[in-house]
Amino acid sequence: MATQSLIPAGDYRTTYAADTTIFPTAGSRYAVWAGLALLCCAPLVLDRYWLSLLIQIGYFAVAALGLNILVGFTGQISIGHAAFFGFGAFASAWLSNNYGIPVFFAIPLAGVMTTAVGLIFGLPAARLKGLYLAIATLAAQYILQDFFARANWFTGGVAGTHAEAFSIFGFAFDTDHRYFYVVLAYLVLTFVLATNLMRSRDGRALVAVRDHYLSAEMMGINLTRYRTLSFGLSAFFAGIGGALYAHYLQFVSVEGFGILLSIQFLGMIIIGGLGTIMGTLMGTAFMVLVPEAMGWITDAVRGSALDRALSLKDNLSFLREMAIGLVIVLFLMFEPDGLAHRWRQIKAYWKLYPFSH
Amino acid sequence: MLRLSLASATVLACAVPALAAEIPIGHLADQSGATSDVGVPYAQGVADALAYVNRKGGIKGEKMNVETVDYGYQVPRAVALYKKWTGGRDKVAAIQGWGTADTEALSAFVTKDEIPYISGSYAAQVSDPTGASGKAKAAPYNFFYGPSYSDALRAMLMWAADDWKAKGKTGKPKYVHMGGNHPYPNSPKEAGEAMAKDLGFEVLPPIVFALAPGDYTAQCLTAKNAGANYAYLGNTGGSNISLLKSCKAVGTDIQFMGNVWGMDENAAKAAGEAANGVVFPVRTAAVSGSTAPGMAMAAEISKVSDPAGTAYRPVHYYTGICAALYMTEALAWAKDNGGLAGPNVRKGFYQKKDWVPAGMEGVCVPSTWSPTDHRGMMEVNIYRAKVSGPTDGALPDLMKAGTIKLEPVKTVTLPRKSEWQGW
Repeated sequence: MATQSLIPAGDYRTTYAADTTIFPTAGSRYAVWAGLALLCCAPLVLDRYWLSLLIQIGYFAVAALGLNILVGFTGQISIGHAAFFGFGAFASAWLSNNYGIPVFFAIPLAGVMTTAVGLIFGLPAARLKGLYLAIATLAAQYILQDFFARANWFTGGVAGTHAEAFSIFGFAFDTDHRYFYVVLAYLVLTFVLATNLMRSRDGRALVAVRDHYLSAEMMGINLTRYRTLSFGLSAFFAGIGGALYAHYLQFVSVEGFGILLSIQFLGMIIIGGLGTIMGTLMGTAFMVLVPEAMGWITDAVRGSALDRALSLKDNLSFLREMAIGLVIVLFLMFEPDGLAHRWRQIKAYWKLYPFSH
Repeated sequence: MLRLSLASATVLACAVPALAAEIPIGHLADQSGATSDVGVPYAQGVADALAYVNRKGGIKGEKMNVETVDYGYQVPRAVALYKKWTGGRDKVAAIQGWGTADTEALSAFVTKDEIPYISGSYAAQVSDPTGASGKAKAAPYNFFYGPSYSDALRAMLMWAADDWKAKGKTGKPKYVHMGGNHPYPNSPKEAGEAMAKDLGFEVLPPIVFALAPGDYTAQCLTAKNAGANYAYLGNTGGSNISLLKSCKAVGTDIQFMGNVWGMDENAAKAAGEAANGVVFPVRTAAVSGSTAPGMAMAAEISKVSDPAGTAYRPVHYYTGICAALYMTEALAWAKDNGGLAGPNVRKGFYQKKDWVPAGMEGVCVPSTWSPTDHRGMMEVNIYRAKVSGPTDGALPDLMKAGTIKLEPVKTVTLPRKSEWQGW
């Protein structure tokens, strides 16, 4: 993947620390701070609908980040991510409902529990690769889903279970305006965590496993350990995301964690850009907003001259579903490196403007 | 690039509907999920009735802005849609809902937000507005039009007990509950089994079959080997059709009792002779072809989506109409009596006793809701599906020729027992 650096000419790095900085330019650092400040003001100006979309992007992005560590950074594959997402949701609800553990602690604990489950299901990863591993993770998806439907003590069975609202010292974060901050805090925390992880020795080992596992092994990287670890890490983020989802909806049902959601997670990271932290957030936003945008468009078309001329009527809703698919296909055809790549190109365009090279 | 993004932003900005001075109504429909076979006609009935009311001037002169969304029978999607409808400035005045799982999941939310929720689920669990029965949580904002699943099953079991005697059979009849492992088929399970025991049935272990069409030979063999005489089918038409066909192939001798969503004209056509003899409750006092006075208005409503007036409307369509019209009358009362806030609309449901929406006489069964009891009706109209030949061809022709018939069997009026409330 060709990347265009935005570091000004003459800016030489003389230490490793300077070389691995998160923000290569002061401008990008300020932009992130400004973006965060803007997001903090969002509940003051946005209504519940828009906030619910942002919250959705938030908890899905946390979980998708885990998948990106697994798929994008380590080169493994998983089509059972939704099951780990679900496990985190149920675990957090279970901990707070049955043991009186405040939701504040239940969310990270659910992440830890999901990590344990992820490590178990990650064990085949030590021996399997590619499609074989994909099918092994598919098994994880079905085993866990079946477990959710049967384990009444844990999940409430098919009827689902209630999840407490997030609260600190009796102050309940039970509205979208308040819960937004909880998700934002977790989003920032997990993204910083993942970014730093990728700058660490272990993170580089994961990338080495992806790029060339034989070379990595010859360099002394324990493949089994890192492949399994990557599953554990991925499950951790999925668990946190799931827990955030549970306490947002305040209701968890087995139906939410099917294979379709797993595929959607894959869609998020592929569209966002495999192996980029920033891309994960972009891809998630894309996957959450496209169906909504298609909804707005079909609402606008409904009853209009176009609708009458083509007598679409009820078919509009089906057109909507098809259009979502089409947008994704077109996107993959024309932007296979993901949104993160496109974003880098936009930045480079403005950096180099008016000269294209 | 820039131009493209600007253009798409403009399109999106224009697309957001800006409809303020209307009454927003949310409508959850299952048009693509596991229960879409009956979800489609019911949702059509609701949508047509609401559009009809709008055509006639709306709620006391104010039109409704109905948003019908297919949520695919997925609880999380229903919860997300609910959040959308109750957020922002255009908070919905009421919601037309659908499934049991999502109705139960949303029950706590609608209670908190005080939003009347008229459901397509008749789970007894959401029929206790105060929670005084101790068997279910308080659901003060949940309403449904029809007998609860439990009450309908109780009535069918009463009929079954009589039927067993009428056939001159001796010994204990065996009863089995069949359905998917899902809140909807499970909802009346305990109530039905308790009632069956009281009536002298031997209760067999329940048999699970999925809420989607499939091969259910194994389940039929289980029921046959256990010697079941009466079986309750908790699923909707689509999966029941598969089961009935499998059971016919296996050669069982079981009197099947569908629930209100378990059998209709379309299911009888699809199942063919396998559906012959299945009894099921019908929530309206009339079915297609009836001459009840309300059928004229129902025909007008049907023309909203079928201007030619030729479409055949199954039982669920009329039920959808009734459910929608009860809501619009409650809204109308609220508008005259303090505004469209949730608590007022809720009061609107309590204003009359044995009440039928205007113009629907003889179609909607007189219903009564009270602040302490949301069991709208205790009257259960039991029908039998009769299939007397091959069911190829169009449904209206089959109904006209009498190849498929819905025969009224018995109307059971259950006592309004307080111990039956909530389960």
